[in-house]
Amino acid sequence: MSEFDLEFRNVTKDFGEVRAVDDVTLQVHRGEFISLLGPSGCGKTTSLRMIAGFERPTRGDIYLDGRSVGDTPPYRRNVNTVFQHYALFPHKHVFDNIAFGLRMRRRPAAAIAERVERMLALVELPGIGGRFPHQLSGGQQQRVALARALINEPTVLLLDEPLGALDLKVRRRMQQELKRIHREVGVTFVYVTHDQEEALTMSDRIAVMNHGRVEQLDTPAAIYERPATRFVAGFIGLTNLLRGVVEGREGGALVVRTADGARLRAEPADAAAPGTTVEVAVRPEKIQMGVEEPRGADNCVEGRVAAFVYQGVVTEYQVELRDGQKVRVIVQNLRETWGSSVVPEGSRVYLHWSRGAGLVLADTGMAHVETGDEDDAVAAPRR
Amino acid sequence: MAIEHLDTRPGSERWTAAPPGVRSDVLALLHRVGWVKILLFLLPALLLLAVYLVIPVAMLVVMSFYRSTMFGITRDFSLGNYAHFAGNPMFPYLLLKSIRMALTVTVLSLLVSYPFAYFLARMSGRFKTALLILVMVPFWTSYLIRTMAWLPILGIKGVVNYSLLSLQLVTKPVEVFLFNEFSVILTLVHIYLPYMVVPIFLSLDRLDVRLLEAAGDLGANPLRAFWHVTLPLSMPGVGGGIVMVFIAGFGAYVTPKLLGGSSGIMFGNVLADQYSGTFNWPFGAVLALIMITVVILLLVVASRFTRLDGVFRAQA
Repeated sequence: MSEFDLEFRNVTKDFGEVRAVDDVTLQVHRGEFISLLGPSGCGKTTSLRMIAGFERPTRGDIYLDGRSVGDTPPYRRNVNTVFQHYALFPHKHVFDNIAFGLRMRRRPAAAIAERVERMLALVELPGIGGRFPHQLSGGQQQRVALARALINEPTVLLLDEPLGALDLKVRRRMQQELKRIHREVGVTFVYVTHDQEEALTMSDRIAVMNHGRVEQLDTPAAIYERPATRFVAGFIGLTNLLRGVVEGREGGALVVRTADGARLRAEPADAAAPGTTVEVAVRPEKIQMGVEEPRGADNCVEGRVAAFVYQGVVTEYQVELRDGQKVRVIVQNLRETWGSSVVPEGSRVYLHWSRGAGLVLADTGMAHVETGDEDDAVAAPRR
Repeated sequence: MAIEHLDTRPGSERWTAAPPGVRSDVLALLHRVGWVKILLFLLPALLLLAVYLVIPVAMLVVMSFYRSTMFGITRDFSLGNYAHFAGNPMFPYLLLKSIRMALTVTVLSLLVSYPFAYFLARMSGRFKTALLILVMVPFWTSYLIRTMAWLPILGIKGVVNYSLLSLQLVTKPVEVFLFNEFSVILTLVHIYLPYMVVPIFLSLDRLDVRLLEAAGDLGANPLRAFWHVTLPLSMPGVGGGIVMVFIAGFGAYVTPKLLGGSSGIMFGNVLADQYSGTFNWPFGAVLALIMITVVILLLVVASRFTRLDGVFRAQA
């Protein structure tokens, strides 16, 4: 028995000239909920299809429960998939859909009936075994697809954007449901999504993928707080990039001087040599904004409010620094009346943030930083 | 096995809003569109059906009770034509023989068509289109020519005999190829093949390959995936093909007349003779009604096993 349920070792997949997955190595622990997150075409679905056995790696190897599955066809792998559009058998009742896997293993009918009922109870759809898939709502079909996969007690359950076709409300509820079911059955989940919020709220760990490579594999908090690359920082949440020249090191931090003379402290300390131009990434909600100059702040820049958008829970400010760089700041509306809590346009403000909030990111060559669903990013506060 | 639906779109509003059923569909349509508009739209089709189907069949029924005499048709009520049918064992024999031959044609045609349609549906690109056109080409050729084409192939001096002779497999031409049941069945299979291939192809072509992936994912090897997913979902096409080929084969009379000789004669030949040969229209009406009854019975049986409307349903 391996410590890992699933392992990629230098897996590459080419489709003709196109490299869909590029030298991916990763390990998934037993019972873990891991998400493959990235924009469309990043290789996440191809990776999933290779685990399921629908595609074979061009190079490298995939291990399930410690065994290489390179040449194992899908029907001999102890892996089951919840397909993006469910792929329920339209000509079979819900019962027969869920029973399909056990019937393929020729389990006795009585045992199958009992297990199907248990699965229907698990996905909270008791008594619908006699219906056809087209008689169910999208959310119900989703649950049936989940039951049909889980009944086989797979080593790894693969979920291919399973909530993509559902409307927002149902999707939120199904997220909770999936987490509950994951806890109850304890099976390893590999979850493919392009929705950063979904990945952040549900996963134990997230593999952020871009152009066939895993840019970062870590916990949601680490991915958000300590993005490894500019792509990750830009894809997940919003981020400000402040350009400056490295001055040197000071107490475990890198000191960067911006064009208007402000000195910023950023991590990691060894990110760049003195004299080089770097960009310091700061999340908009980590920045504090005040009309008076703060004393003893690690990082402080001066600017003018160019615009703001009141959004209920937060107000998003667009602040223009003296050297022309624009910074986005998200301020929680803590006071009871918005009129008194908002800072009007044209006001002179000081932006400051603690020293760990500024990061110098590795550039993976992607001019991609402002991607991500911006509306979503602002609307959904996250920890 | 009842095939309820081919529609695999998840959460499709059309199916989730109300359970499908002919009655609820009609009611919903009535509610949306209203009586008058529906009637207006249906009128041309209804007129066509009335003129070319309902009235002729009614005339057949009436005609079947008339009497044919030396001086023409006598319009009185008599069951003599039905008695004539029952009294002469040749007619029931020919009826059963035609059903048997039509069934043979249907089964052979299915055995040839399914694998072909299967691989056609799995293909892609130019080759697929080319093959599909090749299947359809005979449709644009005269039925007579397609029938006659078998003469120079199966005849005494035909291609087959010539080949056998030159290979010295036989010493004199073989006569069993032509003017018997065999040549009729072979030709009918050939002529009606598109009727079988096309509906099966359509049902296989719109089969969602993700369903096959799902079956494989759940532990079904390719053979079992075919048995549990592909085959049942292609049943509407199979049913449609069976019905069309059987009806066409059952009613055939040109092919048996040209290639059947005396042993290849079918029910349709006797029927046609009543109109074009002996001018016994009332008895011809009886034979025609019997054929229609057999076909209707077949449709009833077939509709129990598959949903025939699936054949004509738009692509999912």
